[in-house]
Amino acid sequence: MSHPITGNRRSILIYSLVWLMVAATQGILYLYVFNFSIPVVVTDALFSSLLFGFMGLLAWYPTRYIPFHRQSPFYSISAHVVAGVVVMGSWVLLSIGMLNAIFSTQVEYIEFLNQTVAWRAMLGGLIYLVLVLIYYLVSNNQKLQERSQQEERLKGMVRDAELNMLKSQINPHFLFNSLNSISSLTMSNPDEAREMIIRLSDFLRYSLKHRENEYVPLGEELGRMKDYLAIEKVRFGEKLLYEFEVDKACEEFPVPTMIFQPLFENAIRHSVYESVDPVSIKFSCVPDDWHMKAVISNDFDPAIPIRKGTGVGLQNVRQRIALAYKENGTVQWSGNDGVFSVTILFPRIFI
Amino acid sequence: MTSKKIIIVEDERPARDLLKTYLEAFPEMEVIGEYDNGFDGLKAINELKPDAIFLDVQMPKLTGFELLEVLEHQPEVIFTTAYDQFAIRAFERNAVDYLLKPFSKERFKEAMVKLNARLETKEGSAKGESGIEKIRQHFAESDEMLHRVVIKKSGKIHVISTGDINFLEAQDDYVMIYTDEGKYLKQQTMKYFEQHLDNQQFVRVHRSYIANITCIERIEPYEKSNFVLILKDGNKVPVSRNGMQVLKENLDF
Repeated sequence: MSHPITGNRRSILIYSLVWLMVAATQGILYLYVFNFSIPVVVTDALFSSLLFGFMGLLAWYPTRYIPFHRQSPFYSISAHVVAGVVVMGSWVLLSIGMLNAIFSTQVEYIEFLNQTVAWRAMLGGLIYLVLVLIYYLVSNNQKLQERSQQEERLKGMVRDAELNMLKSQINPHFLFNSLNSISSLTMSNPDEAREMIIRLSDFLRYSLKHRENEYVPLGEELGRMKDYLAIEKVRFGEKLLYEFEVDKACEEFPVPTMIFQPLFENAIRHSVYESVDPVSIKFSCVPDDWHMKAVISNDFDPAIPIRKGTGVGLQNVRQRIALAYKENGTVQWSGNDGVFSVTILFPRIFI
Repeated sequence: MTSKKIIIVEDERPARDLLKTYLEAFPEMEVIGEYDNGFDGLKAINELKPDAIFLDVQMPKLTGFELLEVLEHQPEVIFTTAYDQFAIRAFERNAVDYLLKPFSKERFKEAMVKLNARLETKEGSAKGESGIEKIRQHFAESDEMLHRVVIKKSGKIHVISTGDINFLEAQDDYVMIYTDEGKYLKQQTMKYFEQHLDNQQFVRVHRSYIANITCIERIEPYEKSNFVLILKDGNKVPVSRNGMQVLKENLDF
């Protein structure tokens, strides 16, 4: 946080003007009420008012570094008293000392000066207190603004994540091509067509659930992913092979709905869609002491140029895992030797 | 009536089956081949010279569009696509017809009527104008992004990911594309590449050169007020004064 006065030109100007006015008022008072000579008046105004103005700027630092809400009130108040005494003490000693030294021959003024020391110190203390209060006000206001800005940013990020989630749900290509396959099967194999319609319905129903952002047992999530793969298998036949290896202990483990969908979709898009040879997709889930470790891997041909738009699905999954488990869940991926694999670690205890 | 030769290029078996079943109602149409990827489809079309093809857009190895780009023989084209906004706009005016999956028997019949009409006028005139050239043109004029470039080189088809291009050089009616694997000549204009390559990554640094800015090793002064790019692969690319301005904006210096 920058100094609220020296931080910008306008505040410097206003602050200087205020102190110039204070100095002028003091000068007029001394000139016409106490009848001191002009050099005395100007020097006194310079040393008391303007010097105070400068010292007042320093009051910001104790305010900045003694945050009230984090320390006990006793600590904060004593810290402020010590800081105030140091600043005001320096001001009184400096101004009185200098004025005494400069005008040592003007007896009348020196007498007046020494009589008003207590008044000056009291008035100074009061103004110092007011300045500290103003600084607190300003800094709290700044903090509030920063917090609301940060909140806005966070909200925006959550919204984006949710939006991307919705967008990534069902690929229209998949939907219309599946319908086309069904249309074809109604003539050649009506039973299989009916099976495929049921699978597609189950999968679509499940993907609508996704909007509610809830958790389901891994077994259920995988059931719907198998529907998805079975539909793709009708389209691509022998070209698509897949296997699941899921530890019994994982079946009931709750996972966010559709969390694996973008990964299976990616696996299919980058392998089956782009290849003429059979490709296999493997899924495994094993528990350890702290995590459920899920791995999806697929073959891919490194020689085939990758289409753009890759990585959106992965980023989405990573974002969702981060939203759900903070830093306790991780998503990592790697692609070498013609096998691309994504590993998700779900924390076993997270609620 | 002589029979018309048809080739189906479509990567899904059920979709091919559907087309063949619908085609049974048109005995004058003879399916002489079906292929599940763009590569094999391309080869077959050039060899077997069908009268018409059914072409899917999304396919492994080579998409329907990429296939058209390097096709020598020019048959009539009926596209079949699931969902592809750009493709639909391209077909609307230029292909014989396009079928949105899934499509009905009646819709298929309409497409066949259009196809027959096109084939007849083609027979009448010495050399009918194919829609393929127009589809290519449509893409050239659009602002669609290019992710891959398909090139024919000594009888082979090469598919290059645009990210692998180091720089491009104008050579009369052709553009020479330089990659780590070698250089490829493509009949195309510099303007085409300037328009369809990602301008965050590719900068027209000179009238005759477009450079991939991620491949720049350093920039050196060259003769009077000119500069030259030294690329990571060691190649040198001249930079014009205008090109330098654009480079400065892109690289922020």
